[in-house]
Amino acid sequence: MTRISESQFTRSLIEHTASNKARVDKYSEQVATGIKAALPSDSTDSGVIARYKQQMDRIDGYMTTISRVKSYVQFQDDALSQMDELILRSKEIASQGANESLTPKARAFLAEEVFQIRDQIVGLGNSSYQGRYVYGGADDDDPPFDATEYDEPVAGPAAVKYEFDAELGTSQTRPVHITDDVTVTLNTPGGDVFGTSIEALERLGRALAGYATTPASGGPDGGGAAYTFPTDYTQQTADIKYTIDLLNKARDEDILPERTMLGGKMRRLETAEALLTLSKTSAQEVLSKIQNADETESVANLTQAQTALQASYSVTAKALRLTIMDYI
Amino acid sequence: MSALVAQQALIANTSNNIANVNTPGYTRREVALLNRVDAASVHSSFTFGSGVEVGTIRRITSSFLESAVRDAASRQGMANVSNDYLGRIESMFSLSGPQPTIGSTLNDFFSSVNTVGVNPYSVDDRIVLLQRGEDLVNAIKSTYNTVAQTQTELDNQVPQEVKQVNDLTKQIAALNDLIQKRKGSNVPSIDEQDQRDALLTKLAEKITFSAAEMENGMMNVSLANGFPLVSGTTSRDLDFTYTPSFGGASLPPSLEGRTLGYIVYNFGTETSPSHLDLTKTIKGGMGSLGGILQLRGYADVSNTSAFEADGDLVAVATRIEALTRSLLTEANARYLGPDEDPTTTGWQSSAGDLLGGSPGVFGLFDFDYSGTKDADGDGVPSASDLLASGMSHFSSYIRFAVTDPQKFAAALDNDTTIGSVVFPAGDGQNAVALASLKQEVRTLSSGPFSLTGTFDELYSSTVNYVGATKSKAETDVAVAKAAQVSAQTKRDELSAVSLDEEFANLIKYQKAFQASARIIKTASDMLDQLVALI
Repeated sequence: MTRISESQFTRSLIEHTASNKARVDKYSEQVATGIKAALPSDSTDSGVIARYKQQMDRIDGYMTTISRVKSYVQFQDDALSQMDELILRSKEIASQGANESLTPKARAFLAEEVFQIRDQIVGLGNSSYQGRYVYGGADDDDPPFDATEYDEPVAGPAAVKYEFDAELGTSQTRPVHITDDVTVTLNTPGGDVFGTSIEALERLGRALAGYATTPASGGPDGGGAAYTFPTDYTQQTADIKYTIDLLNKARDEDILPERTMLGGKMRRLETAEALLTLSKTSAQEVLSKIQNADETESVANLTQAQTALQASYSVTAKALRLTIMDYI
Repeated sequence: MSALVAQQALIANTSNNIANVNTPGYTRREVALLNRVDAASVHSSFTFGSGVEVGTIRRITSSFLESAVRDAASRQGMANVSNDYLGRIESMFSLSGPQPTIGSTLNDFFSSVNTVGVNPYSVDDRIVLLQRGEDLVNAIKSTYNTVAQTQTELDNQVPQEVKQVNDLTKQIAALNDLIQKRKGSNVPSIDEQDQRDALLTKLAEKITFSAAEMENGMMNVSLANGFPLVSGTTSRDLDFTYTPSFGGASLPPSLEGRTLGYIVYNFGTETSPSHLDLTKTIKGGMGSLGGILQLRGYADVSNTSAFEADGDLVAVATRIEALTRSLLTEANARYLGPDEDPTTTGWQSSAGDLLGGSPGVFGLFDFDYSGTKDADGDGVPSASDLLASGMSHFSSYIRFAVTDPQKFAAALDNDTTIGSVVFPAGDGQNAVALASLKQEVRTLSSGPFSLTGTFDELYSSTVNYVGATKSKAETDVAVAKAAQVSAQTKRDELSAVSLDEEFANLIKYQKAFQASARIIKTASDMLDQLVALI
């Protein structure tokens, strides 16, 4: 025969009530926070949760970087698209100027617009984004294109010579991590993008204005004397024609490849962004599966636990009232 | 008359049982009744019996059930300690909520380094980096210190527990003495035995032991290795010491740089002690003291570092220290950049900040130490430099070395001339190189612990360790609780007082008493009638 002693009886009533109460506590916390695994011991997958959480943090970091880099690349692309139009316009002027029906004077009129275009392009090359010179490489705290002077003329736009800054770091490219293992280059050194165009426009402007530029090809050295007309008229025409080739070269070898590259960068950034979003979503899915509480399940469990607790209370209350003394 | 006395004894016993219905550890008693044997009536042909005799009072108990209760108490004592203390550690590795953990600050720090790589000139981004660096260092410090302080706290608890064990063994020995004397003079010692059982259960909550009852009623108590705590009427007092006679001049440091004490028995004298180390034996058992020692860890006197000790807290701290040491050596070395001048001895940093300066050896993560930090003078921080400082744990002393946002060296030297360095403001090569350290697989180690993996893997393995240990403790608590309830239930089923039973008995005894009294009255009536005849 099983004996049921008083202490046994009350203990089991108390134990059952306490364990039901603990369950109500556990499930109400789950329902309130929506999280099943808040502390490492709540889940056997706590290491996995930590890893996924870190992955998500890292993805967030990269996303911020990508959005910054994207706007930076977009800025460069805008600059180059403007530049492309300017170069096309310069080619028109050059073709017009190369026409031998024009007098040197008529040519000189064209020079003004050419110098304006040059200054606009120099402006693009010296453009800054958030206070930093985009085309300055690593030395981006001062303008990459500096103005010096030609020997002749002594004043006016034809006298201004623009040179790409030779300081250290200007030709440096800056790689940036956009995912754990993908990097993109943030910038292209300004000399590579604008050098030829500026040279071509300077040569064109000077030729139209009536000044030769030395040496005949390659970077100008700041020399070049005024033409003597009519002797040098043919030379002037040849110099103007040379700049058309130079402008074509600038467009084909610098601007178009650079724009293609920027397009490529943008695509890489977008692909990386899409991939990161995708892996963030999947990480979130896994996380919510192993860490988040299933609301329906938690609520159902809570209701069940509450019912059980109520039952324990009423059983305890009834059972404790029972005593043999009432019957003898 | 004997019946009246017997029923009175029964009623008295029932009333004692009812009185003790709520006394913990009380075992119900039973009065054994015997029918009285009358030697005088043996030769008579008719025997009506000579009534009833009150025999002994018996404790209804089972030594098997008592020992099951003690086992369960031991198990529960241990599980509760582990669960409570690991709960404190666990919150430092929270998986949700806003509080910073080592994992989240580590990520934030390296992300901010990458951002500075994108915008090296941005002072705003640099300020963020400085804050993230501080956050990381603080998370490491507070997590490590919490673990280390918990170890110290546990160590401080040992002497109190040892004192309680000593008190209990002393009382058990005293009761042994009493029980043996009573047994010698044939006096029952029921209450003393009850008390001794209760004391043994209390002792079991502290340590694991084996108890054996001798012929003379005395209980011998010994540890798992056979060391007697109570032998007959004598008990042996354990000591807790920080200067054990078996230790050398200096003991291995604890996680906080103090020392861990040893539970010993002194065979020698107060002035020239000869200690027997019982720490390991007690740690191998259960009970709260076993639990405390298992968490705190046991350091062999020959150890030299705090991380060679065993114990769950040491295992967690070791992993944090591995991260700290890697930050102090590898992250600092990466931060220095390539050697600017390989033709001269020593490492010249080729990294530079916005003000044109280059970082020192411990330029990114530094530690509070007044001596020479780069002991070998090679200009690069290394594990041997850390070792040479003689410091036991760096996680409490690590600090973020960069305090001026402009002085974070994001750039690398841009000219090719050996010995001359030029840092353009927009150069973030060094920051980018530093940021990539996070993804790299390396060997992270401290003490006997070593893990080949990334920082993330080290952190998640630590979370896993804490989680697994804590949930094991939780399971242990549940199992111990269940075992305790079941053992106690079984014991109560046999030994505790049931009011129903006592009431039923009371009525039975009352009826018997009434019947006996009635017999006396009947006899008296009969006598009266006889007398009336005269």
